[in-house]
Formats: sequence, C-alpha cells, structure tokens
Amino acid sequence: MTCDELRPDYILFAMGVLEEPEKSELRAHLDRGCENCTPGMHEARAWVYAMGAAQEGPEPPKSLRSRVLAAAGAAPDRRWHWSIAWVAASVVALVAIAVTVYQTQRHDAEIAALRDQLTRSGVEVAGLREIVTLLQAPETREVTFGQGRPAPARGRVFLHPYGVLLFASNLPAPPAGKAYEMWIIPKSGAPAPAGLFASTAQGNAVHFYRSPVSMDTTGAVAVTLEDAAGVAAPTTQPVIVAPL
Amino acid sequence: MLPLIFAVLAKGDGDLLARLQKRDPEALAELYDRYGRMVYGLILRMVQDRGIAEDLVQETFLRVWNRAAGFDSDRGAVGPWLLAVARNRAIDYLRYHGRRCESSLDLNETEHPAPFAALQTGALRFDIIKLVKDALARLNPQQREAIELAYFEGMSQTEIAERMGQPLGTVKTWMRRALQQMRDELGGSATA
Repeated sequence: MTCDELRPDYILFAMGVLEEPEKSELRAHLDRGCENCTPGMHEARAWVYAMGAAQEGPEPPKSLRSRVLAAAGAAPDRRWHWSIAWVAASVVALVAIAVTVYQTQRHDAEIAALRDQLTRSGVEVAGLREIVTLLQAPETREVTFGQGRPAPARGRVFLHPYGVLLFASNLPAPPAGKAYEMWIIPKSGAPAPAGLFASTAQGNAVHFYRSPVSMDTTGAVAVTLEDAAGVAAPTTQPVIVAPL
Repeated sequence: MLPLIFAVLAKGDGDLLARLQKRDPEALAELYDRYGRMVYGLILRMVQDRGIAEDLVQETFLRVWNRAAGFDSDRGAVGPWLLAVARNRAIDYLRYHGRRCESSLDLNETEHPAPFAALQTGALRFDIIKLVKDALARLNPQQREAIELAYFEGMSQTEIAERMGQPLGTVKTWMRRALQQMRDELGGSATA
C-alpha cells in the first residue's frame, strides 16, 4: 500500500486498534523508516495522547498521591534531609556564589548565545503560541494580586481549564534549599500542589502549570515558600494569594 | 520577563525522566503533581468508578516508575507515555471484567516507551489539547462515537461495527472521514 493510502490509518495505528492488513503494511513502512509515514505517526501519536489529556473531571483524592508514592517505596525520607541539611546548605551557598561570579563575567556572551539559540529554535515559538492562546482564550480568567499594599509580590494569574500561568514581580529570590510552590486552592477542600519555581535576583518570576484545572471549583491560586523538593501541603503562610 | 518565559517553556520532561531513571523518589512525586490529575481524569472517564480509578492510577505510576529505565531518550515526553500506560491499564480492566469483548489491541505495543522518545513535551501543550477536543466536538455523533469507542475502549473497527450495529464498511467510512476532518482542522499543529 502507498503512504497516501495508509495516511488515514495513522491515528488508528497510534491508538493500537488498526486491523490487518493495514496494520502490517503500516508497520512495514515504519520499520523501514518511511519518510512520509514516520513523521505522520509522530503527529498522530501527539493527537491521540492529546485526546487522553483533554478529559475534564474531578480532582483525585488527596490521599492518592501518598498512596502512589508509598506503593513505589518513593515516599521522601525527611530524616535524610535533616541529617545533611547543613552540608547541603553550605554547598548550595558556595555554588551560588561561584555561579553568580561566573554569570556576571559571562553575562553578555550568554545573552548573545541565548538570542542566537532562541532565533534558531522553533520550540520556543510553539511555546509562545501556547501562552498566547491561553492569554487570548475567552474562557481564561485573569486575576491581579498584590495591589495597594506596602511592598507585596505583585502580578497576575491566568486561569484556564488546561493550566495556570503566573507572572510575578517583587518576589524575592528564595533562599538556598527553598523554592516557591504554587497551590490550586479549591472552594472547599485542601490545596493541590501546582509546581515549584524560583524568582530571579531582580524579583521576577514566571510559572506555567500545565495541567487540567477546574474553573468552577477553584477558589484561589496561592504561592508559599517551601523546601526545594516541594511538599504535599503548604507549611508556611502564602506570599501570594490570588482569589478568583 | 521574556527570558523567564522562554526558560519556563523549555522546562520539559527531560530532567524529570533522567531523575526517574535514577530512581529519585522526588521525581515520582513531581511526576504525580504534573500529571496525576490528567491520568485520574482519563482513567475515571473510562472505568466510571472512583475506587477502581484510584487503583489503576496507582498501577500506572508504578509501571512507569519501574520501566523508566527503558525510556531511551534525554528529552522524551513522559506525559504521553504515562497517558498511554494509563489508557492501557483501564482497557485491560474493562476487558478483564467483561465490560467489553476482546480486541486486537496490543497493550504491550501501544505502551512501549520507544515511540514516545521521539515526542517532545510539547505534545501535551494545552493549545494542542484544546484543538483536538474542539475538533472531536465538531464531528457528527456517529463519527465521534466511533472514535471514542476506539480510544476509550480500545475497540477495533470490527468491534465498533458490532457495537453500533452497522456494517463494517460504513464504520470504516465514518472513521476515515472523521480522521480526515480532524487532520484538516489540526493541520501540523501537533508537531509545530
């Protein structure tokens, strides 16, 4: 069979439901690295898994995270952190000093290299398109935070059914061993972790949480300062709260 | 702010995968935080039972945790692979509990990590997800049902024809037209 004849079957193959004889025909094309079918299958796989990611539903129960980690024997052992915390802190501080000195010296060259890299790469363009789509989507909800107070972190949160985008300024760089953790806070129930991030020395931060978010049940987006490894539930007062 | 945005966009699954391969427990926690809700939503949609969905989510993450070493890529898309494993766990459950007939779906083949190594994390960009969802919504009811039976229950076209009480040729025509319509609407979005 020709590539044109097989093209409509790419998605069924990616789903694993294509029947014979088309299945063997397409596999033969792929096995020999067919220049038409191979990229077509990449595209089909991306579509197929986007179908799976598009499901909206309730939040999984909070206990499921602990259950998954425990079953894998991957529950973080906090005693380890305490026993070597001072060593880690010293190493991080030394590395930070060294990196700062190095970065200062290399700043201009790095910027030039970065610009060049960005120009050549299409990945960022695709990513920017994703952000623009989010910002323009009619269902996106925008919330500002930190207005009218002495020196708060300021910025905006964009909430979309498929993710949350946060821009912040005046957010001090986290100390060594710490990171900012974003939380999706439901109108009722416990906050759900939404990823770790850091701010720059200038106090700027951008964090993009790519995951389904309920527009109906989310009451606020918040940020706390936590251990760099992240925590399952907030342990400090929020530095950012953006009520929706 | 622009360099920060680029840094965020460049933050894919590559580092996460490398840490999973080193059996870093915090990587598994991060994987769950990143994809747990997505995996739970997919499985729940398929099995329609919260307790069973929780069991299958656990199985899914354990499977990926134990097989991450076989993912031969430094930049592959863990998310799509994870969803493939989740879908297969749910289909396997549906088969075992007799809620659907046996099909030709090869679970081992569809969740083998190799094909996902060529996908980048961008495969799960939300704008792509939204495009696919919208394209599915625009299909006519029969086309959409056929595609959903293939995806959510892992049915072959022969099985779909039996379920829908239609001739195989009719179902094949519906699905080909549906997939062609989706291709036309999506263009090269998924690989852009």
